[in-house]
Amino acid sequence: MNRTFSRESRQLARTAARWLALLDSGRASADDLQRLQCWRAASPQHEQIWQRAEGLRQRFQEVPPSLAMASLDRPEPNRRTLLKRGLMVAVLLPAGWLLSQQTPLQALRADLRTAVGERRGVRLADGSLLQLNTATAVDLDLVHQRLTLVEGEIALNVSRAQALHVELGMARVSVGQAQVCLRRDAEQCRIGVLHGSVQVRPRHGAALALQAGDQLTISADGSGAMDRFDPHQPDWRDGVLSVNDQPLGQFLRELSRYRPGWLRWEPALESLKVTGTFRLDDTDRVLTLLAASLPLAVQARSRYRITLVPWQKAA
Amino acid sequence: MSEAASPTEQTLHGLYREHRSWLERWLYQRLGNRWDAADLSQDTFLRVLASPQVLSELREPRAYLLTVGKRLLVNFHKRRSLEQAYLEALANLPEAQMPSPEQRWLLLETLQALDELLDGLPPAVRRAFLWSQLEGLNYAQIAERLAVSERTVKRYMAQAYEHCLLVDL
Repeated sequence: MNRTFSRESRQLARTAARWLALLDSGRASADDLQRLQCWRAASPQHEQIWQRAEGLRQRFQEVPPSLAMASLDRPEPNRRTLLKRGLMVAVLLPAGWLLSQQTPLQALRADLRTAVGERRGVRLADGSLLQLNTATAVDLDLVHQRLTLVEGEIALNVSRAQALHVELGMARVSVGQAQVCLRRDAEQCRIGVLHGSVQVRPRHGAALALQAGDQLTISADGSGAMDRFDPHQPDWRDGVLSVNDQPLGQFLRELSRYRPGWLRWEPALESLKVTGTFRLDDTDRVLTLLAASLPLAVQARSRYRITLVPWQKAA
Repeated sequence: MSEAASPTEQTLHGLYREHRSWLERWLYQRLGNRWDAADLSQDTFLRVLASPQVLSELREPRAYLLTVGKRLLVNFHKRRSLEQAYLEALANLPEAQMPSPEQRWLLLETLQALDELLDGLPPAVRRAFLWSQLEGLNYAQIAERLAVSERTVKRYMAQAYEHCLLVDL
């Protein structure tokens, strides 16, 4: 920073610095040391800056040399490069190292992503368990104890009391010693609490605490709705979708999150009721099961273009 | 806005309303991360708030915001690149030497403070100083590594000490 210093303090710092440089050279004579003692004794300001200088050297003594050297002597991109667009991509750690599922996640900063139909679990460095559901993107920044759910759905189990903060766009959630399910798409975000309690700070409106069993949905317009959290909702972690008397339309919307391509159905089917537990890694089979138990037929133009129609139309 | 708002507050409110999303977008394009962009834009306005005398003289508010924003962005990148280098060094440590999670944070904070202290020193001076302080190299060894004379090393050391003592004031 461009601070301005008085001429005296500059002069003082310069004199002390020269003494220090002489001492470090290992070539200070007994005579030099005698003169240094005199200089220190000559005024309280001299002694004061000398104490600070000693403190300064102490600070460098206290850090582990190899870690400090690697961090402080890193190659520094110049200012011009820093101000260019999209630099952060270059600063990310190698993905293979980050995403290893066997070892605990050493990395403290990462971008995690799952494809449609994919699920993944990662153990974070602080011991928390993070699970990503289908089509989910997460920015992880454990240096600052925070995580951004960019889109999709995660389950988070934080055992430590120190909270992990999750950004959902429409709200921030602080999770410590709790288990939550979080979901975010363009229209809304949803916070469901399995165990413990969490703090929610909506972008618009007052902060609130949610307890186990609570579910809060916040829409892009800022409105919020409280419900009971469906205990079967996090079943996706075990690779299943469990529903009880759910309208078919709602079920299919949920199912299509796990399928690439599009899935359509005639409006007449919307309110048929579905009950059962379905395996998420074989959604083709789920559709076959639906066709077997409900009055509907599956019309597939390809695996990725599927329409469900009522029986009478299919005939 | 309350009626009692001073002219400065009014200017700041106006500035914030008119330019916040623009600044955030500018930062986002360089950071690729909305959270950091929002934080940095917030910091920029806080800096502007901290020096209100400038506000009344603002003819080109966006140019001014960019000046402040760029400085914060550069500092931000410096902290990030330090973090990155630190994390990589940590990852390469043998298990037995791995500091506890608490120590890791404390150490990172200490290193960030030292990094700021050294900020602004020419690279050769900074390196000479680090070799001396951290690795205990003598002037002859540093001189050889940098291909300069020992006298120059001594001058570098004095320059680094002076810089640190002044920054630390």
